[in-house]
Amino acid sequence: MLTSVLIAAVSLALFWMAAFTLWWQMHAWRTPEVLASTRFGSPDGAEHLSFSLLLPARHEQAVLDHTIQRLLESSHTDFEIIVIVGHDDPETTEVARKAAARDGRVRVVVDHHEKKNKPKAMNTALPHCRGDVVGVFDAEDQVHPELLAHVDHAFRTTGADVVQGGVQLINFHSSWYSLRNCLEYFFWFRSRLHLHAQKGFIPLGGNTVFVRTDVLREADGWDPDCLAEDCDLGVRLSSVGKKVVVAYDSDMVTREETPGSLMSLLKQRTRWNQGFLQVYRKKDWKQLPGLGQRMLARYTLMTPFLQAFSGVIIPLNAGVALFLDVPVGIAFLTFLPLVTAAVTFVFEVVGLHDFGKQYGLRVRFVHYVKLIVGGPFYQVLLAGAAVRAVWREQRGRNDWELTSHVGAHLHTAAVIRETREDVPA
Amino acid sequence: MTSTLPAATGTKVPAQDTPVPESVPGSPPVFRFRSSRPDLVLCGVLLAAILTVQGWNIADYPTLSDDEGTYLAQAWAVQNGHGLAHYTYWYDHPPLGWIQIALLTWLPSRIDPSLMTVGGMRPAMLLVSAVSAVLVYILARRLRLPVWAAGSAMVLFGLSPLSVVLQREIFLDNLAVMWTLLAFTLAASPSRHLWHHFGAGLAAAAGVLTKETMLVVLPAVFLTMWRHSHRDTRKFALTGAVTACALIGLSYPLFALLKGELLPGAGHVSLWDGVAYQMSRAGSGFLLDPGSGSYGVLHSWLYYDRVLPLGGLAGALLLLLTWRWSVTARALAGPALAVAILTLVAMRPSGYLPAMYVIQALPFLALVLAGSAASIAHGVLHRWRRRTERPAVTWARYAVAALLLAAAGAYVVPRWYDGDRTAVTADANASYRAASHWLTSEVQDPKDTRVLVDDALWLDLVHAGYRPGLGVIWFYKADLDPAVTRTMPHGWRDLDYVVASPTVRRDAVDLPGVMAAIKHSTPVATFGTGPDRIEIRRVDQAAGGDR
Repeated sequence: MLTSVLIAAVSLALFWMAAFTLWWQMHAWRTPEVLASTRFGSPDGAEHLSFSLLLPARHEQAVLDHTIQRLLESSHTDFEIIVIVGHDDPETTEVARKAAARDGRVRVVVDHHEKKNKPKAMNTALPHCRGDVVGVFDAEDQVHPELLAHVDHAFRTTGADVVQGGVQLINFHSSWYSLRNCLEYFFWFRSRLHLHAQKGFIPLGGNTVFVRTDVLREADGWDPDCLAEDCDLGVRLSSVGKKVVVAYDSDMVTREETPGSLMSLLKQRTRWNQGFLQVYRKKDWKQLPGLGQRMLARYTLMTPFLQAFSGVIIPLNAGVALFLDVPVGIAFLTFLPLVTAAVTFVFEVVGLHDFGKQYGLRVRFVHYVKLIVGGPFYQVLLAGAAVRAVWREQRGRNDWELTSHVGAHLHTAAVIRETREDVPA
Repeated sequence: MTSTLPAATGTKVPAQDTPVPESVPGSPPVFRFRSSRPDLVLCGVLLAAILTVQGWNIADYPTLSDDEGTYLAQAWAVQNGHGLAHYTYWYDHPPLGWIQIALLTWLPSRIDPSLMTVGGMRPAMLLVSAVSAVLVYILARRLRLPVWAAGSAMVLFGLSPLSVVLQREIFLDNLAVMWTLLAFTLAASPSRHLWHHFGAGLAAAAGVLTKETMLVVLPAVFLTMWRHSHRDTRKFALTGAVTACALIGLSYPLFALLKGELLPGAGHVSLWDGVAYQMSRAGSGFLLDPGSGSYGVLHSWLYYDRVLPLGGLAGALLLLLTWRWSVTARALAGPALAVAILTLVAMRPSGYLPAMYVIQALPFLALVLAGSAASIAHGVLHRWRRRTERPAVTWARYAVAALLLAAAGAYVVPRWYDGDRTAVTADANASYRAASHWLTSEVQDPKDTRVLVDDALWLDLVHAGYRPGLGVIWFYKADLDPAVTRTMPHGWRDLDYVVASPTVRRDAVDLPGVMAAIKHSTPVATFGTGPDRIEIRRVDQAAGGDR
């Protein structure tokens, strides 16, 4: 009897968790109108805002120049690029200085912090920003030349304080996990973030994010001690009622690459999870006015851990139903989470198809197979990252484990950059 | 692209929920049932008329059917904790149908348990009829039929004498129709919401699990969904719906698997055997062969009404032929396909055609007939009409329309009046009631009396104090269920009474045990005359079978 009750409770909890996640993940495709509203509006040609684009770069001399060149090709007429380099990184500094000498719109700011991380670098540059809006990009990003014009238009037409553009991992063919990683980004930026913007609670992305300079200064910039400073900024801004707008156009997204190895993906995910945990513990989200908003915040920031939990429990639960002698009704309940998992799988397959269509990429049958077969293994990876994050947080290890990039998304030959795992704490 | 960005944060939620009409080119005007007063009024009035006609005299007409008794008795078993049936559940049909009947009748049977008889519980079916009729109306409007045509569809569906007779009865098909109509209505949702389409898949699965024959109508549901979804979201909507439908549908084999009854084996029933039995039921011949059983079934339908079945078929044909030119024909593609599939299935020469088969087709026949009427009306009144048309021509158009309307009225109204008057006045169940009364009052010791009855009378005797299952016995179980025959080592000698109703006499031909009991018994009371009579026969205990 007790077993039955326990199994039923666990099954129902898992079912609702998976159902909510699925519901939110499919947000953008709820109706054709919602889908249409997730896109950028067409710019009207008028340009009123000036941009300061922050480009933190660390040991990224191989890709930095390409990124700067592409940014300079932007059709928008009023922007500056602030490259932030470390005082201990002469190679990158040199690339940045050369670019600054070539074009007056590029400036270089040197970060002298002993322990370096991305939020500290950006805070260093914040006082130097002259634009109305601060934008953040990563050194390996491929930015669309029309993006700034669209963002300008978005700021003006919606009265937003923050505009988050799309970021998309493209190299889905690289490995089984990069396929799943790409799709995660697709669902997150294509769909889920729009729901967060609508509900008034949003963890921002790490780049292609634009904030009004005064709003950013008022918020004291980024939290230098947080491992997910982007998420934290979004949570702090939306918690005090700042208006965040998300827009996604497949030809306007910032293209990125997945981490080059399974280990670096694990480290990246551990950092994010730990960051989410920190944001959760900072309790800024408790200022949100609505109960629903606070629930969404709580749930979203806990997601990595719930994911880890459910990844382990779902198969266990179904196994219990099949092999232990429980009443048929209870056994039925244990299959509910599997049903939602199956629906999620199917939507992922359709999502992969849509991803291929949107980006003009050829998705082959084998990729669908990889997607399905890789699902459980990816779940294990996520669970591992979640456990690792909790463990590191408990041990007080909150240094940055950075991710290395191989430039797989760039059209130029793959450039392997220096690995920078575990910057010394 | 002229879309706008979502409004976002702040304390108030969402400008994003407001549709952005101009961003989706070609969006049709949206029909909202709940906020349209003319629709609500018309639908309400028609619903009242349908419920009056269907509800009046519901217990006494038509004749209690054996199948009604079966499902209601199994619903009784569910309510009283006897599992899915009071005899062994053998996967004859998925159990969802009578589980729903159990829910529907739960409250009244708690208030007065003796109400739980076929006649007593027929009123519960009014709820199903009402929901279905309203869904027919909403679906017609969502398929862009004008108000009058939607009203006609509802009337055709709810007031055709054929519908009145069949929808009054406690048949699983009526419940399955309700679910399928819900699936169609959600598939044609004007907001084209992903989860509405998902819900359509769930409802379609519920329809199939209520009555498995609904399976054949699924393509029509998905066709409707295809036509009503938007290009940009279609693949998510359709795959979502198909997945939902498949997953819920799989719960039935899963249920069998969990009970260890998926595959045949010694000493237990199985889903496999159940399906095999249904698939191997002896065919009832070709529908149009006058000597066949199917022909008889067809004529039993046409006896009640020719307008809806034949008119609906003609309507479906008209819509298929005018597909290229008529907007209405294309809008009604789903129902027309449903009619086409159901017709083709009924035409299989080797198949078995049950008497309630037509129930599944009724809403689609009604929609297709109303739709073709709308199409004809549009042709007569508006086609090739110019601003500069001469008044005489316009008047001629109206005259033709009025003539057609009058002709249709003159044909339909008298026939339907006769049919529906019979339905609200005739008493077809007097002999059943009398038989029930006799067995309740004349038998001294019901607890220890064993009697073979047909399913329609079974619950009456349960309430009278007979032991359910082995005291009062579904007659065919005496031959077919090992768990029952085991308790009758001396065959007919272990019985006290046989209630020989028309059903029992008909089926006894194939049931030697029942036949023997009839042979070795004498009528002690007879109700009614001729082939419809019900005889209560006492088994001759002393005579030793020599009569």
